[in-house]
Amino acid sequence: MKIRSNWYLVMLFAVFMLVLAACGSGEENEEAETEGETANEENAEEADNEDSQEVNLYTSRHYDTDDALYDQFTEETGIEVNVISGNADELIERLEREGENTEGDVFITSDAGRLHRAKEADLLQSVESDVLHENIPENFRDTDNQWFGLTKRARVIVYHPDRVSEEELSTYEALADEEWEGRVLVRPADNIYNQSLVASLISINGTEETSAWAEGLVNNFARTPKGGDRDQAKALAAGEGDVAIMNTYYIGKMLNSAEEEEVNVAEQLEIFFPNQETTGTHVNVSGAGVTANAPNPENAVKLIEFLSSEEVQDEFSEANYEYPVNPNVEPAELLQSWGDFEEQDIDLTQLGENNTQALMLMNEAGWQ
Amino acid sequence: MKFKHIRPTTTSGWGAAAVFLVAILILPTLFLLVRVFQPASENWDHIREFMLKDYFVDTISIAVWTGLFSVAVGTTLAWLVSAYDFPFRKTLKWALLLPLAIPPYIGAYTYHGILDYTGVVQMTLRNTFGLELSQAYFDIMHIPGAVFIFTIFLYPYVYAITRAFFASQATSLIESARVLGSGPVQTFFRVVLPVSRAAIVAGVSLVVLEVLNDYGVVSYFGIQTFSTAIFQTWFSFGDIDAAIKLAGILMAIVMFILLLEKFLRGRRKFSYSTTKVKPLKPVRLYGWKKAVVVGYTGSVFLLGFVIPVVQLLYWAALTFDYIFTKEFVSYIWNSTFVASVSAAAIVVIAILVANYTRMAKGIVPAVTARLTILGYSIPGAVIAVGVISFFIFLDEQLMTMLGASSSLVLSTSVVMLLFAYVIRFMAIGYNSIESGFEKVGMKFTEASRTLGMGWTETFFKVDVKLIRPAIFSGFILVFVDILKELPLTLILRPFNFETLSTMAYRYANDEMIQEAAVASLFIVMVSGIAMYLFHTFIEKEPN
Repeated sequence: MKIRSNWYLVMLFAVFMLVLAACGSGEENEEAETEGETANEENAEEADNEDSQEVNLYTSRHYDTDDALYDQFTEETGIEVNVISGNADELIERLEREGENTEGDVFITSDAGRLHRAKEADLLQSVESDVLHENIPENFRDTDNQWFGLTKRARVIVYHPDRVSEEELSTYEALADEEWEGRVLVRPADNIYNQSLVASLISINGTEETSAWAEGLVNNFARTPKGGDRDQAKALAAGEGDVAIMNTYYIGKMLNSAEEEEVNVAEQLEIFFPNQETTGTHVNVSGAGVTANAPNPENAVKLIEFLSSEEVQDEFSEANYEYPVNPNVEPAELLQSWGDFEEQDIDLTQLGENNTQALMLMNEAGWQ
Repeated sequence: MKFKHIRPTTTSGWGAAAVFLVAILILPTLFLLVRVFQPASENWDHIREFMLKDYFVDTISIAVWTGLFSVAVGTTLAWLVSAYDFPFRKTLKWALLLPLAIPPYIGAYTYHGILDYTGVVQMTLRNTFGLELSQAYFDIMHIPGAVFIFTIFLYPYVYAITRAFFASQATSLIESARVLGSGPVQTFFRVVLPVSRAAIVAGVSLVVLEVLNDYGVVSYFGIQTFSTAIFQTWFSFGDIDAAIKLAGILMAIVMFILLLEKFLRGRRKFSYSTTKVKPLKPVRLYGWKKAVVVGYTGSVFLLGFVIPVVQLLYWAALTFDYIFTKEFVSYIWNSTFVASVSAAAIVVIAILVANYTRMAKGIVPAVTARLTILGYSIPGAVIAVGVISFFIFLDEQLMTMLGASSSLVLSTSVVMLLFAYVIRFMAIGYNSIESGFEKVGMKFTEASRTLGMGWTETFFKVDVKLIRPAIFSGFILVFVDILKELPLTLILRPFNFETLSTMAYRYANDEMIQEAAVASLFIVMVSGIAMYLFHTFIEKEPN
């Protein structure tokens, strides 16, 4: 009997854990009770109305700012925003698997190449919206209106003024020259920002020239690529290299870091917008599209329109240090302090089209 | 041959249940495998030429070194806390499991954060002592660094499983060795290691699989491995079929190694040599031996837990005010809920399957046993694709049954995530419980059968009682692993379902490690409490 009682004890504990966990989720449901009830009621109405009072979001952006903006959207429109955030390619795969049964209405990701890939996989639909046309310049939206840019990111050259003077810097292309041997810092090739930069150069200079450039750049690497964008900035401050290719908004984040020493590092560094005399600085977008089988397409459009509106665009810039796409909105003060710049004038869908080519070329050049 | 006719076959209840469960678990993987055999895409040549060769060498070297170091650290720690008595032993016994509570990629960010230019070490040297040393001294973003990170945060797999083994292992063998005059070193190498081989292999195979699957650490460190190749193929070439093909190769290699190991081990089994199963009586240490042992066990604990946690605490203190919201309570509950439900399910299934495979002979049970590990041998994100396909398929069947008006039910619920966890972490629960059974052997079961008890009665009255430590360690390992699991949770969760690990990722992914610290610490805290509860529970149990 003793043996038996021990076994029961084990079972009891397991059951206890389950109950504990179940209670937990119960409590949480109570907390969200009001929300849950309204959502349920609306689900019941769904059969009658076209759209329910909710919109479902698949996003690869994970910023607190975004969440705050969704709450604001709910407040203004009464439309509940449900979110699954994840890796862009995994979300694309999920949308693809779910096919016409998907519950996702809006797909948001932070790379034009990915948006293009979703479009190519027939996962997005064309949207006719005057608001979006007005808020978003033509070169930042898809030609078939399947996706719309929401924020811009510039990939620039950051340098340490003790070791490099502004006059020495000119273009991305020039970083492959001999004088930069052992001085260039950049993160690994698997990073999408790097791939999109290379993809844009393929569009502008062609594959062969870009291939030669990549080889020259790899020869000039100060160290094996590692870490993230912030790590390149730190390596600059530490003297491991003299110039780094990175996105401006990481400098913004470091300047506002919780850690004092990160602020110190960022303050030592200067930003240079390359290719101003030639083809312009590489710019990528975060953007959104309405999914092909969205159950709530009207709410989806409303959400994207909201995100392109002036007040929201301002918020993106102020809180996340990204450049607004809406031409009526001034970038945040910090961004303005870095100065205006000419952007690369290419069709952003090419970032997607050239992505595979770009990575192959980087692999071949030995860019790890 | 008295026992022959009573060994269950596939047709018996046990066998049917076990085979059925495993079949369900491998279905999603089969959804994937179908795609392995599709013709090679145009990217294949490039992948083969520029990715596989180099990546393969690095992958193998990281896996082998991490495996070796984990065995060295894990078994020596397990042996020391089991066989010797020294200060802090009682605490260290369970505290040495704690490094497992820190997800390796968070550990990697943390250690890099400690050592990099703005980290506490260099900052102190620079600002207090005016020392500017070469960055090379502080760089851990290379292969040896990755081996360190993996070893220090994953050795507890080896430690936990071997310690569970020592805890009730034939003390008599070891005590016999002692009585016969074998010194401590000799006892360890000539008795302890050979006897506990099954447990060590079970532990180290989990470590190696985890390393092979890792993407977070290696991609941050800029090291190219097999999983880099899988994800680059998927994410950059958008070629998921080629990615699945690569995952299939990885899976085949892993299965081959595991089967080979099983085959080589053959019939050499060590089980209880006497009916008196009592814990090892620890020998008290004095003098320099005491100092060395305390120093060694203590430094592993410092490196694997105290140092990273202190750094995380510091970061959390900086960001707590604006990161912590009352929603964190619901993240904690979500995490605990999915982890405990899935861990319980895994343990029950693992017991069923392991009990069947140890009793039955032949190819079916042997294969069934190895198949449980399938889910652990491919990267989580790739499994997720199989699970989604499987659930969409189920939902479509449901829809045709219920009529057109219904929508996706299963694939939008948390069930899909729970199911995926079971597939993914089955191997951990199974390895733990299998090594528990292995150590017990068949003697008691057979004795019980001879005395007239049925298989089922024997199972409940004898077997489960004997493998209790293994059940607990299996549960804890799985629970902790699910708490920190990331790729499956991210992609398979229902709308608005945040867990502690998705919150940690949200910030860490954007290089905001200070902000990620709060959620990371909660993962550590929940895991720590779970480990402690189970530990005290086991200790109180009469043996």
